[in-house]
Amino acid sequence: MFEYFYNEIFRSVIIGFGSLFNGIQIQKKDEKDQTFSVIKVPLAYGPTQKFLARMQQSPDLNHPVQMTLPRMSFEFTALAYDPSRKSTQTQQIVVTSSDGSEEKKTFLPVPYNMTIVLSVYTKFNDDMLQITEQIVPYFQPGYTLPIKFLGDYDQVVNVPVVLENIDMQDEYEGNFDTRRALLYTFTFTAKTMVFGPLTDVSKDIIKKVTVGYIAGSKSSGYERDVTYQVTPRALKDYDGTVATLLAENVDMVENIIDVENGASIKEGTYIYIGQEEMYVETVSDNRIVVKRAQDKTPLQNHVMGSPVYNITQADNIKIELGDDFGFDGNVF
Amino acid sequence: MLNPFFLNGSKPEQNLLQSLYNEQIQMYGIEVHYLPRQYATTHKIIREVIQSNFTTAVPLEAYVNTYEGYTGQGTILSKFGIENRDDLELTISRERWEDYVSPMIKGLPDGKITERPKEGDLIYFPLGDRLFEIKFVEHEQPFYSLKKNYVYELKCELFRYEDEVLDTGIDSIDDEIQEIGYIQTMHLIGAGTGAAGTAIMCPKGAVQTVHISNMGKNFSGQPVVAFSSAPSGGITATGIASVSYEYPGCSGKSGRVDAILLTNAGCGYTEPPMVTVQGGGGTGFAATVSIASSNSVRDVEVISGGSGYMQAPEVRIGVYPTFDETYIFFSSEQFFFSSSTPGPEDAAVGFATISRAGVVTDVYVTNGGDNFQFTPTVAIDPPASEGKLPDGTIITVGGTYIFNEIVKGSTSGCTARVKDWNANTNFMQLGIIAGSFVAGEYLVGETSGATYVIGHLNTDDIVSPYAANQVIELAADNIIDFSYDNPFGMP
Repeated sequence: MFEYFYNEIFRSVIIGFGSLFNGIQIQKKDEKDQTFSVIKVPLAYGPTQKFLARMQQSPDLNHPVQMTLPRMSFEFTALAYDPSRKSTQTQQIVVTSSDGSEEKKTFLPVPYNMTIVLSVYTKFNDDMLQITEQIVPYFQPGYTLPIKFLGDYDQVVNVPVVLENIDMQDEYEGNFDTRRALLYTFTFTAKTMVFGPLTDVSKDIIKKVTVGYIAGSKSSGYERDVTYQVTPRALKDYDGTVATLLAENVDMVENIIDVENGASIKEGTYIYIGQEEMYVETVSDNRIVVKRAQDKTPLQNHVMGSPVYNITQADNIKIELGDDFGFDGNVF
Repeated sequence: MLNPFFLNGSKPEQNLLQSLYNEQIQMYGIEVHYLPRQYATTHKIIREVIQSNFTTAVPLEAYVNTYEGYTGQGTILSKFGIENRDDLELTISRERWEDYVSPMIKGLPDGKITERPKEGDLIYFPLGDRLFEIKFVEHEQPFYSLKKNYVYELKCELFRYEDEVLDTGIDSIDDEIQEIGYIQTMHLIGAGTGAAGTAIMCPKGAVQTVHISNMGKNFSGQPVVAFSSAPSGGITATGIASVSYEYPGCSGKSGRVDAILLTNAGCGYTEPPMVTVQGGGGTGFAATVSIASSNSVRDVEVISGGSGYMQAPEVRIGVYPTFDETYIFFSSEQFFFSSSTPGPEDAAVGFATISRAGVVTDVYVTNGGDNFQFTPTVAIDPPASEGKLPDGTIITVGGTYIFNEIVKGSTSGCTARVKDWNANTNFMQLGIIAGSFVAGEYLVGETSGATYVIGHLNTDDIVSPYAANQVIELAADNIIDFSYDNPFGMP
């Protein structure tokens, strides 16, 4: 039942969440209104391995100061199912890889709320106010992060990140044994969707479609009985064999084209040059008459020496999932 | 009423006790440095000292109360990384303070109380090579022996650093903050060497210019440029398309082709070839081509990329003569009158590109010229070895920056302090940055006079082991997709 899969959903949300706060600055001005310090507030994901933190942050064991401030850290602290965003359990969606070469299917994702806590530690209250003011205007109360889930499958999901509450801690009272500690905690809820495993969709595509139309009724006899059959037709040459080369420049209005070897092109077939597909009406020696921009391909200029490709029946068989194709139709 | 026959502390007795204290501290103590805080900027409503300087360090003997080690919670891992919560208690002589330290720190700019040690000042503890901040000054322990107090007890905690200036002139103290705090890094460009190239000529029928009549639209990537094949025996021209997103409506993703840069102008065309672009997602591009009638530049080969370029240099191919009105002099090497077809040559035009390391990588021909009577020289401007500051001062690029000196951007006026400078890699680390530096401006050291050009600068702190801003940003670039309009606005 439970096959291995890992779509890095939570990791992606954590990264996306962090990226919201990694450009916060503190600027300080003196009494003459001159800036004397600009700090980009350091940000890191809080939880880590202790030995790693020790190795990275205290490589020579001796640390000359307690720590440097200001600092921000964030942490994924809780996960809960969100019934208010529940969708049907049986519906599937098909996702396509970014280059269109592969398709997978998966059930609709499950709504979960991630609680992520952003903690801010500063030395001065003025620093804290600057940081807070750079955060809260974007959350009314949510900010939507468009995150690409499922890696290469480019499934962009808008994940609302909602600011739930802000806990302000300023310990300045008491004896002098402890110093002042300024700590604000922002609690957010990231409303994400969790995808399940991706499975293959059928590699086969429909190669022939036949539709029968029957008009009239049984009692009165059929008045019209037509069967229409279509088969997909390739829009490009799949084996990439160059039939011939253009012997002249071809602008967007020409339909009589000189090629280097007209014998390699047959009348009543399709050719393509660049991204443009053409229908060959007649061939006379090395001169062909064509219909331009077939099957909604773009009308283009072509330069002398450009390769000309034939589209044949063999190419029709090689049409792959996701490719554009045209139709040949027959009425019986 | 007290017994008048017992003083419980005459002046000589008090002096004796003070001397004993002094002697004990000097025999069994250690020599620390006392750094008085200078209150440069104070917020009067929120009541915080937001700018502090420490420019003086006074050596003073102190007795370490906790000889078994630091007190406090020790080293802990919190959500903000490693924290060293070590405390230290020191005892110093009241008399030594009043007679020695107090006069030395009196009169410091932005100084405060000098009559006693005060909270907020720093202690440099040489044994641990650490900076402690005084949390509390206990002045009544021991409690009035012979009716007087003789020592101060300083309760200290390791310093929490932000952007305080530490410039005492004592390297062992100032270098405490060398690798901490917010640090910007930048690659600086020093005096470099000029690039060189040579022109490769075509006797007849090379592409001279490409005139764009329609820049097209919606190019999201760089399209492939194709020219018509040259007649038999000729060379087909090649080029690359320059896609610009600077035009109205481009929105950073819908570009237009604003130039065709020739990587090879071809040769042997008898009539102007057609030029097309394919791919890149755009449509509508149209251009016409003109060809040279004789001797034009087909290509420019970069022989040496040089170094130290901060911006793409100007390329001049063939030089028009200078006109000297005194002698009406034309250089025959640069200007040619043919008896049959009098007139000057058509100058060729090149366009250079440089790498981030400041090296010329390519020279593209945008106009191959015409009618050259000899192979023209290719002059690539050398990198600037001298510069001019806004006040007109001429400066020479070079020198060695000094640790902790103030550096200033020539254009931005932004200042910072040198944390580290690697003269071999020209890699600079700066702290306490007062503004924003601009790539391309001169960075001048106020003490050393060293001057370099800012090449690439990184405002993310990549030195501090805690800051992961850049790592998060790079990871997010792959998964955050703002290509769709965000209904809630951009951050």
